[in-house]
Amino acid sequence: MSEFPRFLNIPLADWVDRFMDWILTNFSGVFDAIGHTLLMMLLNIERFFLWIPWWLVVIFVGILAWRVMRKWTMGVVMALLLVLIGSFGYWKLAMMTLALTTSAVVVSLAVGIPLGILMAKSDLAEVIIRPVLDAMQTMPSFVYLIPALMLFGLGKVPALFATLIYSVPPVIRLTNVGIRQVPQDTIEAARASGASPRQILFDVQMPLAVPSIMVGINQTTMMALAMVVIASMIGARGLGLEVLLAINRIEVGRGFEAGLCIVFLAIIIDRITNALATKQQKSLES
Amino acid sequence: MEHNNQADQTEEICVEANGLWKIFGKKAADILNSDLRFESKESILEKTGNVMAVRNVSFSVARGEFFVIMGLSGSGKSTLIRMLLRLIDSTSGSIRVNGEDILKYSKKRLMDFRRHTTGMVFQYFGLFPHRDVLYNVAYGLKVRGDVSKEERHARAQEAIETVGLKGWENYHPSALSGGMRQRVGIARALTINPEILLMDEPFSGLDPLIRREMQDELIELQDKVQKTIIFVTHDLHEALKLGDRIAIMRDGKVVQIGVPEDVITSPADDYVREFVQDASPAKVLTAGGIMDQPEALLYEWQGPKAAIRTLRDIKEDYAFMVSRHRNLLGLVTLNRLKTVIQNNGASLKEAFTPDPPTTNPVTILEDLFPIAAEADYPIAVVDEDGKFMGEIQISSIFENMIQSKEAIADE
Ligand SMILES: Nc1ncnc2c1ncn2[C@@H]1O[C@H](COP(=O)(O)OP(=O)(O)OP(=O)(O)O)[C@@H](O)[C@H]1O
Ligand SMILES: [Mg+2]
Repeated sequence: MSEFPRFLNIPLADWVDRFMDWILTNFSGVFDAIGHTLLMMLLNIERFFLWIPWWLVVIFVGILAWRVMRKWTMGVVMALLLVLIGSFGYWKLAMMTLALTTSAVVVSLAVGIPLGILMAKSDLAEVIIRPVLDAMQTMPSFVYLIPALMLFGLGKVPALFATLIYSVPPVIRLTNVGIRQVPQDTIEAARASGASPRQILFDVQMPLAVPSIMVGINQTTMMALAMVVIASMIGARGLGLEVLLAINRIEVGRGFEAGLCIVFLAIIIDRITNALATKQQKSLES
Repeated sequence: MEHNNQADQTEEICVEANGLWKIFGKKAADILNSDLRFESKESILEKTGNVMAVRNVSFSVARGEFFVIMGLSGSGKSTLIRMLLRLIDSTSGSIRVNGEDILKYSKKRLMDFRRHTTGMVFQYFGLFPHRDVLYNVAYGLKVRGDVSKEERHARAQEAIETVGLKGWENYHPSALSGGMRQRVGIARALTINPEILLMDEPFSGLDPLIRREMQDELIELQDKVQKTIIFVTHDLHEALKLGDRIAIMRDGKVVQIGVPEDVITSPADDYVREFVQDASPAKVLTAGGIMDQPEALLYEWQGPKAAIRTLRDIKEDYAFMVSRHRNLLGLVTLNRLKTVIQNNGASLKEAFTPDPPTTNPVTILEDLFPIAAEADYPIAVVDEDGKFMGEIQISSIFENMIQSKEAIADE
């Protein structure tokens, strides 16, 4: 039996705890403000999703799917999946889930695209951000619940925050990749024309990165949806909570229904955003 | 070689590079400050991992000159031409354009310089794939920020028509062939009406037929707009055809600068000799370069008797007849003169052939062959205004070719 020497112990857990304490005592005002803003946004989006009549959503999704996938059958299928969610009796919960997902995606893009640009423009930023993103994506998602709880308490905001941490990496990563893979000779031509770095970014790099960013948006959305069940543990209402309750009470049928609804939502969102991404790619190539 | 290093003193200097060096890598400054800089590219790469791309290059280009930079792949041509626009920062040296040191320019001033003074055409076009031809061509004006959309489009339209792409304004580059894309690249550079055109192997991706066509168009364009052009190529014939002067690069160094004929007839070293070996003198020597001055000319106001006396004096059986302003009128032969005198003709005009074979001073020897095959008498060299400049004996065409071949072989 061998004992690991005590003097090599690193009290990382202590440090993290102390760091969180320090943040809480010094920046609680900041987090309150952030929390409040996030909550307002989330509530408004949720109110909107619960307000629009179900049939309007069905028709809208059907037409959107038909337009972007250029197949009317796909439009019908997507609309039918939505109707099924309603038939299982989960319309309201699905809309709440959708609201949480949408909020997470909106904030992810608002934060992720600028960070992706920063990462593409500065090698130093890339060196710093890349491992952070790796960590964010490989860490078990439950871990995010802890700081989210500590910073924002129980409820919708920490759920949104945890979802956000989990879903923001793809859009940052793919914005970075998209900008960095813009051919050097195209950028050089813009420089030779006398374009400023800003003009190069908006006239050349961003437009050429759009297909890649769209893939990022697709992945971000799927990650956000995947996080929904986990986020329900700290107070997000919606389909996730339903699954969680079913698991706790060992109600297989109920869990199956709710789970299926999440899958349907995932399919609808994935197919539509994916088709949008491919469409962007094609319009660039043709 | 020395005297050709500088642009003609009487002309205004437009671009002047002095002692330019470029070393790619982290140890650039150390290499430059040590004796390492004299070593070969390979040995520098091996010892330091840095690439010596351009080595102590100096030259000057006159306003309106067509200056060609030629060399094999990897000799540093692209690096050099990019340095002139500061797309690549030089390790050391100075670049003056219109007397201003562009290496001292601030970022803002440099952007202005690129927006107004220079236009660059790239080997791989560098077009924006997500925008149509019109946007691509107008981009140089768009970045200025103060040119209205109407004006941008009007000027882009003009450039598009100059390069013969009318009707393609709203297509994306992917819909165009290689030759057409290159025209878009050229139009983009022309739109801003720059003083200086920088062209990095603009035609090397094109097939030979289109390539020749584009070269001819460029020559025509140069005649029309009189830009200062700095043109990179690795094709000797292209260099000889286009260049007023040619700089030959090897391993980052300029080994010779001269007019095309100098480069061909007196190559500076083995490297250049090898380069020009397969260049036929017939493609290089020009009528103006090999023509002679006849011992006598006849003038329109002379009488037949005076003419016959002149011919006997110079012991020739022909002479060219010119006007008071030395405009070529025709060819007079001894036989015709004799007939006129026998018939008591009073005017020299009765004795001449009005349309003798003529050529232009810039015609290359190769193109003289068909004329020479038809001609019984020497060929007259006349300039664009019809002024008589000299004559070429049929035999001297071949003598010149043989001589220049031997000159190359001897060295
Ligand atoms: N960004 C760079 N980093 C490192 N080395 C470079 C870089 N750009 C060019 N080089 C090196 O500098 C040398 C000169 O390259 P350059 O592109 O100027 O040659 P070139 O004469 O234009 O050749 P080509 O005819 O193939 O275009 C080459 O050895 C090349 O590998
Ligand atoms: Mg090159």
